[in-house]
Parts: sequence; structure tokens; C-alpha cells
Amino acid sequence: MSNNGKGSKALLEEVINQGLCTGCGACVTACPYMVAYGGRIVVLDKCTIEEGDCYKHCPRTYTDMNAVSERVFGVPYSDEEVGHASDIFMARSTDTGIKERAQDGGTVTTLLALALDAGTIDAVVCTKMDEDKVARGYVARSREELLECAGSSYEASFVLEAYRAIPKESTEKLAVVGLGCEVEALSKIKTYTPKNSPNPEHIRLTVGLICGWALRPDIFHPYLRELCDPSQAVKFDIPHTPHYTFDVYTKKETKSVSLDDIRPYINPACQYCWDMTAEFADISLGSAGSKFPGWNTVIIRTDAGADLMEAAREKGILETQALPEQRLAHLKTVALNRKKTALKNITEKTGSKKDLLYVGGLSKGIADKLLKA
Amino acid sequence: MASIAVDEPGTTVLLMGNEAVARGAIEAGIGVAAAYPGSPTSEVLPTVAGVAKEMNIHAEWSVNEKVSAEVAGAASFSGIRSLCIMKQNGANVAADFIVNANMTGIGEAGMVIFISDDPGGMTSNNEEDSRTITKWFDNPLLEASNAQEAKDMVKWAYEVSEAVNLIVFVRGVTRLSYTKGNVVLGELPKEKEKKAYFPDLWDMYNPTKSKFTSGPFPIFHKPLHEKLERAREIFETSTFNRYVGPEHPEVLIITCGACTSYSIEAVEELKAGDRVGVLKLGTTWPLPEKLVSKHLATTTKVFFVEEMDPFVERSVMELAASLLPATSELTFYGKRSGHLTPYNEQSTNLVINALMDILGMSYQPRDLTYDQEAREAVTLVPNRPINMCAGCPHRATFWAIKRALKLDGRNGLVTGDIGCYSMGFAGPGFFQSRTMHAMGSGAGVASGLGSLKQFGFDQPVLALTGDSTFYHAVMPALVNGVYNNSNFILLILDNSATAMTGFQPHPGTGQLATGDPAAVVDMDAICRAMGAHVEVCDPFDLEDTTETLLRMMKEDSGARVIIMRHMCQLVKVKRKISAKYKMHVDPELCLGDACGCDRLCTRIFGCPGLMWDAKAGKAAIDEALCVGCGLCHDICPAGAIIREEAI
Repeated sequence: MSNNGKGSKALLEEVINQGLCTGCGACVTACPYMVAYGGRIVVLDKCTIEEGDCYKHCPRTYTDMNAVSERVFGVPYSDEEVGHASDIFMARSTDTGIKERAQDGGTVTTLLALALDAGTIDAVVCTKMDEDKVARGYVARSREELLECAGSSYEASFVLEAYRAIPKESTEKLAVVGLGCEVEALSKIKTYTPKNSPNPEHIRLTVGLICGWALRPDIFHPYLRELCDPSQAVKFDIPHTPHYTFDVYTKKETKSVSLDDIRPYINPACQYCWDMTAEFADISLGSAGSKFPGWNTVIIRTDAGADLMEAAREKGILETQALPEQRLAHLKTVALNRKKTALKNITEKTGSKKDLLYVGGLSKGIADKLLKA
Repeated sequence: MASIAVDEPGTTVLLMGNEAVARGAIEAGIGVAAAYPGSPTSEVLPTVAGVAKEMNIHAEWSVNEKVSAEVAGAASFSGIRSLCIMKQNGANVAADFIVNANMTGIGEAGMVIFISDDPGGMTSNNEEDSRTITKWFDNPLLEASNAQEAKDMVKWAYEVSEAVNLIVFVRGVTRLSYTKGNVVLGELPKEKEKKAYFPDLWDMYNPTKSKFTSGPFPIFHKPLHEKLERAREIFETSTFNRYVGPEHPEVLIITCGACTSYSIEAVEELKAGDRVGVLKLGTTWPLPEKLVSKHLATTTKVFFVEEMDPFVERSVMELAASLLPATSELTFYGKRSGHLTPYNEQSTNLVINALMDILGMSYQPRDLTYDQEAREAVTLVPNRPINMCAGCPHRATFWAIKRALKLDGRNGLVTGDIGCYSMGFAGPGFFQSRTMHAMGSGAGVASGLGSLKQFGFDQPVLALTGDSTFYHAVMPALVNGVYNNSNFILLILDNSATAMTGFQPHPGTGQLATGDPAAVVDMDAICRAMGAHVEVCDPFDLEDTTETLLRMMKEDSGARVIIMRHMCQLVKVKRKISAKYKMHVDPELCLGDACGCDRLCTRIFGCPGLMWDAKAGKAAIDEALCVGCGLCHDICPAGAIIREEAI
């Protein structure tokens, strides 16, 4: 299978109509035909271009994991559960202003604010919720704008639409924050240079967010509106075990619903997701779990990620500690289980252990190990 | 010529068929002419309206064909000769009045309906043969074969109408209506003063001339058939029926209307004048049976040449059956035998081909290579698919519709209607229209679709209508939708004109057929009074129009209306409203084929003012066609189409 020679028609048939679209936004604004609207990708017209960026960069079209890994890390695709990693530990912000707004430890916002201040980057492509808590891609160019983007929306935001919308000739140094699927799309953009977007050389930093699943906005928002007035919501959260709830904090109260009530609104595409830890990022972050509330798990993958982390430590705006062995083992188990589940669901869908949809270029060893398990 | 009402009897002038019809009616001294625009007849009423004042005629664009027939009928009831004009579809709309007027009679003054059919459907969405409908109406029918005959026949039709107290139809086809020919003018009426008076109910025992109500039906129906027999008698000696050819032709062509010329030309071309005779009938219903019987007795082969349905063919074969065994040696050729088709236009070539077979002749007018060369030459001509004009507001509306339906994502659909926006079924409207039938059917079908909710139907429905069509037949459908709580949105594409047929005024334009000012019938107020939620958009504001469509679709209940208001570009030109913008493509910004847009501007948007410069590999503005509407600026993803305020 090759990812050459296909355009929007194939994207529609093979990804969107198959329920595989993750809502990353990589295809949007690549051309006038792909639009993100109401929480889904709309293909406005037929396009006759045989080899489209929309198809080429989609994280759910065939992806040569080795080629992408070579481009991002300079080495073949790792067989580690959490991907290519040089260091794994815990961190949290010391900035109270950021911590107030942050989902967990505020590490992401702190790192990006530092990079902006230091001039390592000029802008951050990230997700921002509007008044009605609809999440969309956004380009933050200052600490203030960045702070407005803190907190998790728990939904697909088409974040890469915001990158696509930056003029092609722009030389702004960019950081991009995204989930596994979004980072995967971005790494394909890096591997296969796009026609009409800024040169991916300008993407200096990719921050991955460790992700369990994302809600599909077009079906989640009607439910949210039943739950509360979205404009009054200030934060969404899934407290860690033993809780089993999705909490909506409004200005007045907290609405807590069972996770089972939320599951119907999870994007069905997430069941085919292979990458929990955003393996192609420079640095991946997530919550560190219930035993360490207010801390983030941090996976350093590249020098760019390590350098920024080091600068933050030196400035004293982040504090870190080692991730306990047990916690690391748990992270790896969950990540491995994700891969197994994804491959099980993928092979059930394709009816063949040879057709793994987008998961391509794996060494025989990894594939066999996972498929047998 | 200076004027259609020039008073120079005996002068020969060049007139289009439609103008000749108008002249015939003027010579007949009509007082009232009424019509709804419909090609191929649209020029008749304006020609009359142009001299309405000097000839003391009331000429009006009626709101639809039924009302136009009623307006004309009322004149005849009151002693004023009247002319009603319609295209073939119009007969369906006017049918109910005409059928009943045949029961009541039309009074002292004649009434003529000029109806023109459209073989080949060049300006229509069907190929209906109106002769069949006049037959089931029970109206006398004449068919004109050229402009001269059209004038003379219309004039004579009033005499027939008054002799039998019935509406008389004169039928043309596109080729008659739009072909110019020499016409020798006749005399104009000496007396221009006319007195309209609805007859007094003075004789209680014989109220038929003062009371136009039908019933009891058998009593009224019997005289109708007697009237038709009288018409048949008149037709037997009509000079509009002519025979040219040998006394005993090997083949007798029976033809009528525009096919008369094709038949005569075919016989001449084949040099078969000594073998083939042509009987041309001007009065085709009721059939002048004695005349036709006489000619049937002179031959053994009869070939029918007529447009569309085998109308004369069937009448004559029915007659022949009644004349058996005298007609037992006859062989019939025509549509039934497959020598000609009951669809598409006839032509001299088609008649030649059929005659060759009937006569066992061969005919080769040109070298065999000619056909091949002609086919090759055709490939040199650029393809010109149907399109809306540069700057057409419908293109903007369809663009917004397409976008809104896609974004809405519930597989919404468009029910189309009759007008320039009929092109919405094809590329110019991005293939959005999914149904198209009669005037007003878009709204009627939408009202039906919007009532299917209990069967799981949940697709948004957008019904199209133009402004003129709205007044013509959409208003009842909208009332129906509001009344029955049907779920659809009526989009009124108000471009300030009956554009498709040539910019005739209508009740919304504030102008009469004569050009005089008129009251504006406010469509916004009508829709609101009907109880519909009404919004008004300028389709050139693509974003706002798309948003409005999306918002209104979300309402998802009841009949709603969006008026898409933007003046037709050609009306702007007529009113000397100058271009808003000067357009150009910035070759630096246009990415050409490197752009991901895949030539959105010329491949999909398709305004004729845009072109693809193949040499440069970029889009360009065709300055000869661009009208500076500025819309393409909003659709270019690269922002390469620049609009500057025109000075």
C-alpha cells in the first residue's frame, strides 16, 4: 500500500466515510474543499488532484512509521511501548498564575510560555475553547494568548487547521501542541513537505499530549448543552480512579456524570488509535495519576525537548522528580494495551492481519509480537 | 419597419413569426391582449403592448396563463376581441378555464389563443404537443406554416371564433415564432373606438348570450360538438389548406405548420415533384374530412410529416378506417411506421431520408468525406456548455446553497423550478437542483417532502422559485406548506425580472407591459402575511447567505422563506448601472496548478468572466465578459483575484 497518488475522494472513502477521521484538521485549508464544520470534516466539492496533501498528511492513511521516525528522530521506529524516549519523569509548574488555569501540573503552558519569552518560538499552534466550549485550532503569539488556551477540552479540535491557515511564506518559528493523532499528522507534514503551508522546518517544537480518547464535538455538544449552559462552564475534568466520572465545573457548581454516560460521545475513530503517548513529539506530557495530583508525566524524546526542559529547570519555573518504577511500568502497560486493542480493532475492520490501515512500515518483529498478543 | 401598426396595406415587411401574429391580431381589431411570458411566444405581447396606446388596446402581462385566458375571455364576453398568448406548458395551466369556456361559449367577440410548441425543447423542459390538448378541449385548431400565414390566419381565426362561438387556437412552433419572413400587410381596423359591455340578461328563455355559466352539462356539451362540426364545414373550404403536386401522386405527403417547408424542400431536393404531392393543412382540428378523403383517393401511399405527436396522422388514419374498403389499398408512413420520430425537431434532411425509403431512391448531396470532415471541424470549436451569465446572482445563491447543504450534513436537497435558475440541475448551479417540473412545482414538491417526517424523512428541503414564478404558481404552494406545517425553506431568487424569457415586468417590478408604472406587489409582505418566517439575503454576501441558510435549516419546522435579493446582471446593464469593481488576477498570488484548489475558479465556480490562461498556467479575467461583480474575489482560496473599486 502506498500513500502516493490519492486525493480527497480517497480520503472521503477510506477515512471519513469509514469513521476513521480523528478530527486533527491536517486536511483542512490544504485546499478550499476540506472544511471543518460542526465537529466534522466536510468535503465541499470534488477535487481531481490525484495526489493531494489532504490524503498524504492524514494520520489515518497509510503511514510509514519508519520513514516518519527517521525524519523526526533520525532513527527507525522504536519498539518501546511509549515510543522513542530519552528520559521519563514528573514535573509541575511553580508559576501560580499558570497552575490556576492548568488542567494538571501546568507544565505544558510553562514550557511554551518560556519558549515564547526566550524567542525560541514566535507562536504556538494549540487548541482554544470558544465561549460555548467548542475547541478549535488557535495561534497564540503571547503569554496572555497562551494562557487562554490552558485546560483540556477533551474533544477533537481540528488544531492543525490553524497551522494550515498560517500563510505559506511565513517564517514564524512555531510550536505545535497536539494529541497523538495530531502529532502523527504533523510528523507526516514534516516528512512530506506541504504545498501551501509554512515550511515545516519552522516547526521548532512539537508538544504531545498523552491521550485516552477524544469526544466527537458534533455529538458531544448537544449532550453538553443538556447538561449545562456551555458558556458558564470553566473546566472539564476526569478525576483519577477510584472516581469514574466526567466533571463539568461551571462558575457556580460542579456537574458530575458517570464516564459511561460520556462514552457514547467518544469519537469512534479513537478505537483504532495506536499512539497514546504522541510518539512523534519532541516532548510528551500527561497527568501523572491519582497518587501525584498536580503533577505531569513528562517524556523527553528529542534534544529540542530536553533543552527546553533544562532551561525551565534552570529558571526554577518547573520542579521535577523521578517517575516511580511502578508508575512507569503502568504507563508502559497502558500504552502497550492501547496498541494491542488498536490492532485488534483494525484487523477486525480490515479482516486481514496484513492490512493494518494506517499502521505501516513496522518491523516484522514488532508487528508479530503485537498481533500474536 | 417603423411600427407593427403601420397603416400601409399591401406593403411587404420582414416580420418574425411572433410579430406577424401580433400584426394579425391588430388587423383583426383586438381590444385586449394578455399573456404570461413563455418562449417561444414571449415577443407577441410586447409587440402588441408597444402600440397599445395608439391602437387603443389593453395589453397586459398576466400573473399566469390561466388568468391571462380569463382576462381575454372577459373581454370577449363583453364584446371586445381578445388575444391570449402562451407556450405549450401554458395550455396546461389555462386548461380548466378553457374547458369550461367551451361549455359556456365566449360571447359576441372572438377570442384567439396563439400557442407555440417547442420541438426539441430548445427553450422548454418538455416537448408537449399542444394540439392534442386542444383536441380534448374541443377547440378549433389552425396551424401556421410561415410568417405571412401566421398573420393572415390569426386574423381569420377571429371570424371562425365568432362563427362558432368558441376560442380558436392558432398553433406555431419555435421555428415559426422565431423565423423572419416577408409579410404583406393588410388593412388596419377603421374604427379604433371599442365599447365593452357585459350583455344584459334580457331573455330569460335564451340566456346563453348573456350568461356564461356552464351546466346542465349534457345540454351544453351537445352544442359544443355541433359547433365543432360547423368549424369542420368552414375548414373544408379554407384556403389555408392547399395541395401542390400531380393529380395522382405516387406518394401523398400530408403536412402542416413548419413541416410544410421541409416537405416542399425535400420533394424539390429529390426532384420528385412528378411522383410526390404535398397536401398542406392549415386547419388541423377538426379535420376537414371531405377534403382529405378526396386526396386519399388519388394515391396509395400517404406520408405524414408533422412536428412531434402523430396528430394529423392519427386523425387521417381514423378517417381512412371509416372509409373502408375504399381506403384498403393505402399504406401509411410517418411516426407509426418509424419513418419519422414523435420527438425532437423535424428537418428537410429527415424528410428526405424518409422519402428515399418510401420511393426507393438514393440521394447523395455531397461527397462521402464531407461528413467526416464536418465531424473533425466540430472538434475545433471550443465546447460551450450552458452557463449563467457573468455576474449572475443565481451563481452566488447556488454557491451558498451548495456550501450550506454540505456543511449542514443532513443530505439536504433542492427542489428546482422554471427560470434561469433551472440551470441549477447542471454545472452552473453545481448540480444542486434535484427536481424540476412545472412552474411552482419546486415549492409544491417541497411541501410534500416536508410532510414525510412520520416516515423518517429528515433531509432539509430547499425549494427554489424566481420572483415571477413566485406570483405565477408558488403562492398556493407556500400557503399549502404553512397550512399543513410542512418543513421546508422556500428560496425566492428575486432578481427583479422575468429574466429567462427576456426581462418582462411582473407584479413585483412596479412596471406594466406597456412600460407604465404599476403598484409593486410586495412579496416579502405576502410571505409574512401567509405566516412564514421570512429573511432577506443578498446572495453576493456569500458568508451571510450561507450562515442564514444554515440557521434557517436548523429551525427544522414549518414553511420558511429566504428572499435572495440581487438584481439580474442584464437588468443592471439595461438600467445602465455601472460595474462595481475592476477585477484582475495577481499572477504572483495565483498559484496555478500548484495551488491545492484544483482550478476552483474555472473548473467549479465557472463564471464566464474567468478563464484559464493555459500558457501562463494561471487564472485570468476575460475582460470582454467580466462585469465586475466581484464575487470571484470571495471564492479564490489564494486571494489572487483582486477587486478594486471601479472609478
